[in-house]
Amino acid sequence: MRRILHVDYSLCIGCETCQGVCDFLHHGKPNIKIYYTMSGLPIPINCRHCEKAPCMEICPVGAIYKDYDGAVIIDPQKCIGCFMCLAVCPFGVPSFDVKVRAITKCDMCVDRRRLGMEPACKEMCPAEAIFFGKPEEVEERVRQRTAEKIARERISTESFESFGKML
Amino acid sequence: MNGMRFAFLCREKPSPTGKKVAIIGAGPAGLSAAGYLVCHGHEVHVYDKLPEPGGLMLFGIPEFRIPIYRVREGYKELENVFEVKFYPNTKISFGDEKEEGDDFIKNVIDFNELVQNYDAVLISTGTWKSSIPNIEGVELKGVYPALGYLFRIKSAKLGHLSWDEVVPLEGKRVIVIGAGHTAVDAAMESLLLGAEKVYMSYRRTIKEAPAGAYEINLLQKRGVKWLELTVPVRIIGENGEVRAIELQKCKLSEPDESGRRKPIPIEGSNFQIDVDYVIFAVGQKPTPPKGADIAIDKWGNIIVDARHMTSMEGVFAAGDVVTGPSKVGRAVLDGLLAAESMHRWLMEVRK
Ligand code: SF4
Ligand code: SF4
Repeated sequence: MRRILHVDYSLCIGCETCQGVCDFLHHGKPNIKIYYTMSGLPIPINCRHCEKAPCMEICPVGAIYKDYDGAVIIDPQKCIGCFMCLAVCPFGVPSFDVKVRAITKCDMCVDRRRLGMEPACKEMCPAEAIFFGKPEEVEERVRQRTAEKIARERISTESFESFGKML
Repeated sequence: MNGMRFAFLCREKPSPTGKKVAIIGAGPAGLSAAGYLVCHGHEVHVYDKLPEPGGLMLFGIPEFRIPIYRVREGYKELENVFEVKFYPNTKISFGDEKEEGDDFIKNVIDFNELVQNYDAVLISTGTWKSSIPNIEGVELKGVYPALGYLFRIKSAKLGHLSWDEVVPLEGKRVIVIGAGHTAVDAAMESLLLGAEKVYMSYRRTIKEAPAGAYEINLLQKRGVKWLELTVPVRIIGENGEVRAIELQKCKLSEPDESGRRKPIPIEGSNFQIDVDYVIFAVGQKPTPPKGADIAIDKWGNIIVDARHMTSMEGVFAAGDVVTGPSKVGRAVLDGLLAAESMHRWLMEVRK
């Protein structure tokens, strides 16, 4: 069953909870991290588990594979640390782990999924900016949230004419 | 389930260890710690001065950033599935000094009594004391600390306060002093609630604004008047209420060794703006439980060792009350790390 982990940049408030939780689970090396742009906008960067994953296609030793949920996973035993995946990843995700001496990245919380839980960042994001599930379920939820946002923005324009308390 | 899963480390309650832990403060640090501890079999009781758990996530940060259901459904899972016991409206050792959010206190419990009744205690009480500069007119009606201001708006939205008790904003002119996240939120909420004019005064420039240029520009697009390089010098009153504010222009000094450029007031550049409210968002101070005999540093932050333990054996601390005002995520991480260390201490040292 294909499942996706989707981070929505327009809903993210830059609170760094996803990063904190991931940092805790991976002992100081989070796989999702907030970067601040020149204008101070927070952008969470993490693996998007691409359907046609460039990292997987380029890996010369076939160390990158997909699991039953469609999570793109790197096998540290096979990885030779050539950084080709980093070179082609559109999001700059793959990261060299000095201790493991291989490239590592988000595995969509594989251990948690095995136990019937969801990726920790998704479970804890206070803004519900991270979604997990079947593509159609995630899309429905994203659209629902977006609809609410549009409504809120429309009401807030009216609030200049004093309807603010309707919020 | 669309709530935050504070107990994200497990699916259901494991078998009990028989240990009982008290957490003081139900914000992001306290609730994450509670989640960790229940997933490791401890009984957890959470005390908080507010009428509902959630801390700043619920009572400080506006709803357009954190949806209310995320926090509410989140603590309800802790309560219903993991049997965390919440004691709302309860302050631990109430001192005479007032801080933001004291409005709802119904019970007061002595800190030392709590320490005696539990195997371990975690303090995660945050930074609820607002700094207000000592200038002429700050005692006038219409001068508010930003956190207290946001807190009342959020309390009304959550149904704990009637809208009559919230500062009326329709047609009012508001000035917010500061350019951090709280300042931005105070300006935004003022707009949303129908303020006629919102000003923001900051002593440095948009480039230095802690909330980031993006947020400030967004506010300007929505009509906020951004007054950079200004400092408030006095607030002018009439019949005990705010009528206007006097600001002074500044320029930035050459960068010092640390690269910081200090704002220097320009002599004779004072000007006045007519406003109804002045909102100070210039910083928050830590609020550890009063009367607790625990070491704090010169800023009032609780001092902890590498185990997150305070100067009192078995009493731990985490979140903003240790680090000073930070981000939800840093408080969450700190709460998790403290809880991990408490678990180790409970199982290996205290036994
Ligand atoms: S937890 Fe959610 S809102 Fe916070 S930084 Fe991560 S994605 Fe953004
Ligand atoms: S590492 Fe990059 S290219 Fe590979 S799946 Fe993740 S986002 Fe896609």
